[in-house]
Amino acid sequence: MNLTYAGLELKRFARDRVNLFFVAILPAFFYLVFGAAQDYKDAPVGNANVAFYILVSMAAYGAVTATVGIGGMAAVERMQGWGRQLGLTPLPDRGFVTVKAFLAVAVAAVPIALIAVLGALTGASAEAWTWVVSLAAIVLGATVFALFGLCAGMAFRTEAAVGAASGMIVIMAFLGNLFLPLSGALLTVAKFTPLYGYVALARYPATEGRLVDGRGGLTDPEPLWIPLLNVSVWATLFAVAAVVLVRRGRGRQ
Amino acid sequence: MSTDTTPRPAPIAADTAPAVELAGLTKSFRTPDGPVHAVRGVDLTIRGGEVVAFLGPNGAGKTTTLDMVLGLTEPSTGTARVFGLRPRDAVAAGRISAVLQTGGLLRDLTVRETVVLIASMYAEHTPVEEVIERAGLTALQGRMVSKCSGGEQQRLRFALALLPDPDLLVLDEPTAGMDVAARRDFWRAMHEEAARGRTVVFATHYLEEADAFADRIVLVAEGRVIADGSTAQIRAQAAGRTVHATVPAPRRTAVVAALQAMEGVTDVSVQGDRLRVLAVDSDAVARSLLTDLGGIDLEIQTASLDDAFMALTGHSHEEDPR
Repeated sequence: MNLTYAGLELKRFARDRVNLFFVAILPAFFYLVFGAAQDYKDAPVGNANVAFYILVSMAAYGAVTATVGIGGMAAVERMQGWGRQLGLTPLPDRGFVTVKAFLAVAVAAVPIALIAVLGALTGASAEAWTWVVSLAAIVLGATVFALFGLCAGMAFRTEAAVGAASGMIVIMAFLGNLFLPLSGALLTVAKFTPLYGYVALARYPATEGRLVDGRGGLTDPEPLWIPLLNVSVWATLFAVAAVVLVRRGRGRQ
Repeated sequence: MSTDTTPRPAPIAADTAPAVELAGLTKSFRTPDGPVHAVRGVDLTIRGGEVVAFLGPNGAGKTTTLDMVLGLTEPSTGTARVFGLRPRDAVAAGRISAVLQTGGLLRDLTVRETVVLIASMYAEHTPVEEVIERAGLTALQGRMVSKCSGGEQQRLRFALALLPDPDLLVLDEPTAGMDVAARRDFWRAMHEEAARGRTVVFATHYLEEADAFADRIVLVAEGRVIADGSTAQIRAQAAGRTVHATVPAPRRTAVVAALQAMEGVTDVSVQGDRLRVLAVDSDAVARSLLTDLGGIDLEIQTASLDDAFMALTGHSHEEDPR
């Protein structure tokens, strides 16, 4: 990988204070308010506690916000002429993709690390392997949403569209059972939305598929294939859309 | 500033392959409104060390042709070779680089960071300090790209183009959006590069720029080369003038016929009671209009590029009726 390019990309990310706020500070704040500050934070959930459950949710939210932005800006940059500038250098396309993929993982790790540290300090608890597997699942799963950002960027070609795509993550997080425990018909609908499977998988090591219901209890375990299928279908949809949009973009050049 | 720090020997002597060789080059795009034929068959050879202008109006196919030279676009048919190599290979080898039109910079990097970033993509490159100095960016290197004026950003693109120490430098409308002073400075810097023996190919729609800087002008319209020659040759064809005069109606037809018979007159048209005469030798036309032909209210204008194109397209039709 071109380390100079990767380093400068990290520098650009750190320079964007507004983005940094939405990616790192806001999810951490949400964790403190909705997790660490609540009376029920020590209640057990599977092999973890509620604070950990909310930690996973908020870290996932922050990570996805980050990767949507990275994917979207990569697309917009390329179409606004940076792609042509890079086309005049020996850097192959895969060099660009490698740097952006690295950036997506690195940037997703920022909210995850921040919230994990805050969680450890404020009583979030789970078995050690659960911490490791959950946080790794958050990082890996977040990269799928870089494709969503990429599609938004390629389809609408403006920075504003990328901002709107990041904003849509808030709605998808509600619908995906991420912020508030859903129940009944809304929970059934939730299982078809893109963030549901991702966050359910990240919680799986702690809860083994049980969900927190609206009254502080736990539901029956959900089979693993449901979140896996959800993630697979959405990842495929995003990937196919990205390929279609890339081809359309080429035809227009 | 202009001390020669280029470590390699002069590139021209080493090369037997021409700098650019285009054969039967075409490019069509599919659009919702049907296919667009941007380039309709270009054959062209540019030798090492030449300074060549691609002159043509917007939409003539200049940028698309240069994109194929740079390997940014694949031709629909035909081939493009740069120093005998496929364009992508020539780019990868640092033999060719370009200053593109507006856009294409990251606004949240500084000038220096941008140069360092692009430099990192080459295995070997001209030192960062040196290109910054040659592009006149030393005082600006800490500035964010977003805070640079259009001319300053263009100098930055120029600095990036110098990094691989290319044998062929392609400039696509390099001075678009620059004010007069910035334009003059830019061309001064470019003269220095040409003097180092680089081959320079630039696209412009300014006749004056092509005239002032190029050894050779390739006139492009509607995706074809319609004239190709030294600046003097092209000027003789293209840089005619337009003579306007009023001729009383009874004599008008005879006057038009007389003018059309004159050597160097490329077009005569009637607009109301005014005659419009396009001619290379406007003095001769003016003289006869004022004496023998009885014209009054004479006006002489330098031909606009549009007029030149009209004249040249007309010529090429006469020579090569399709």
